[in-house]
Amino acid sequence: MNRLSNIFYCTLVFLLQLVLTDYVHLGPYVFLCLVPYLLINIPLSRSPHVVMLTAFAIGLGLDVLSDGVPGLNAFAAVLAAAPCKFLYRRLVNSDRQDKTEIPLPGEVGFLKYAKYLSAVTLVYMAAYVALDCISFRPVSFILIKFAASAAASIALALLLAIPRSNRP
Amino acid sequence: MRSRYGLLSSLTAVVLFILLETCAILLVARGGVVQRFKVMGAVRSVESWFWERTGRIRYYFNFRTENDRLTAENLQLRQQLSRFAAVQRALDSMEVVVEPEFTYFGATVVRNSVDRQHNFLVLDRGSDDGVEAGMGVVTSRGVVGIVSAVSRHYSYVISLLNTEQSVSAKLAGSGAFGPMTWTGVSPKGAVLREIPVHIQTAPGDTVYSSGFSTIYPPDIPLGTIEKSTIRQGSSQELTVSLLEDFRSLHNVYIVKNNRRQELEELYEQAQ
Repeated sequence: MNRLSNIFYCTLVFLLQLVLTDYVHLGPYVFLCLVPYLLINIPLSRSPHVVMLTAFAIGLGLDVLSDGVPGLNAFAAVLAAAPCKFLYRRLVNSDRQDKTEIPLPGEVGFLKYAKYLSAVTLVYMAAYVALDCISFRPVSFILIKFAASAAASIALALLLAIPRSNRP
Repeated sequence: MRSRYGLLSSLTAVVLFILLETCAILLVARGGVVQRFKVMGAVRSVESWFWERTGRIRYYFNFRTENDRLTAENLQLRQQLSRFAAVQRALDSMEVVVEPEFTYFGATVVRNSVDRQHNFLVLDRGSDDGVEAGMGVVTSRGVVGIVSAVSRHYSYVISLLNTEQSVSAKLAGSGAFGPMTWTGVSPKGAVLREIPVHIQTAPGDTVYSSGFSTIYPPDIPLGTIEKSTIRQGSSQELTVSLLEDFRSLHNVYIVKNNRRQELEELYEQAQ
């Protein structure tokens, strides 16, 4: 997949995220979030600086355009983007010679891809839910929201990723 | 040379990480509702236009419920009007001019969120209609929120369904009052705190706005008590089911307290 089509695809996913945030309400416990999926679609060859700045822009863009609390998604996005490459090496391919730009389930294996996506999503959700709810919500609420949001977001991201990897 | 470059790159990455996270936390801490509304004025205009149209479609499908509600409200208002007319006649005969304490502006909700921890609304009345930041927003079935920022044609309201909002509420019989806040879970759930333990309450009792703030008029029914829990042996915490269904809000009233400035000046003098 070339760079331009990846940018176009990520823009569509971002727009889908805006629609999800504004119009799909699944109750107080579920926050459907595709930002972790966007983060793992940033080419692995990019420097950590570019990855973190891109993550910050995506998060802040989402906060502002969907009338969220400014900084909430930006904080979680940067925190999840920083260890992306490390998580990829640990969970998908530790070979330093690996030239994969954007990992896809069809190329790296579905299970490895799911593990990588889950790890990034869990980091993101932990940061997001903690900053959004901690100190004024009971622990049970925070834990349920974290688990339900992470599970729903991972499932949705996998649904989006599978057809993409099957494309010629 | 290469290792030195690598070390420098790692160091700058760490600095950038700390910088970006600090920026994000500062933004969260500041809240920035007003600033965001002003900075994003142009984007809001386009979005508000879109929200207004999608809101109209939703409204079309809620006509029946909305009509029933307006009919009931009209009936109640007519009854009040007839009582006030009698008072007015009596006052006229005494040549006393009474300035109403509150002025109401009708408004329509063009945007509403209920599923977040910090919910908000956008109304189709702005500074051109006399709306100012700090005014309350109510319906006949409860308090909706506080106007936080205004543009020419729209106003941004921080909803009562916001973890940072509270409203002063009182119990129907005893008049005992305390702060009522949203539970953060269901759009119908709220908690009334700091009610003394000796005050007797029963499920189904009505909770009203106290009118102790300069924002909301008194005696607006807010909800009914579901259950009572004693906290630390010193006060009761009442679980309240809100009367207003925030998911189907459409017509609201923006409230201006005509004596607010006078009251605030009095508070300042007293301090």
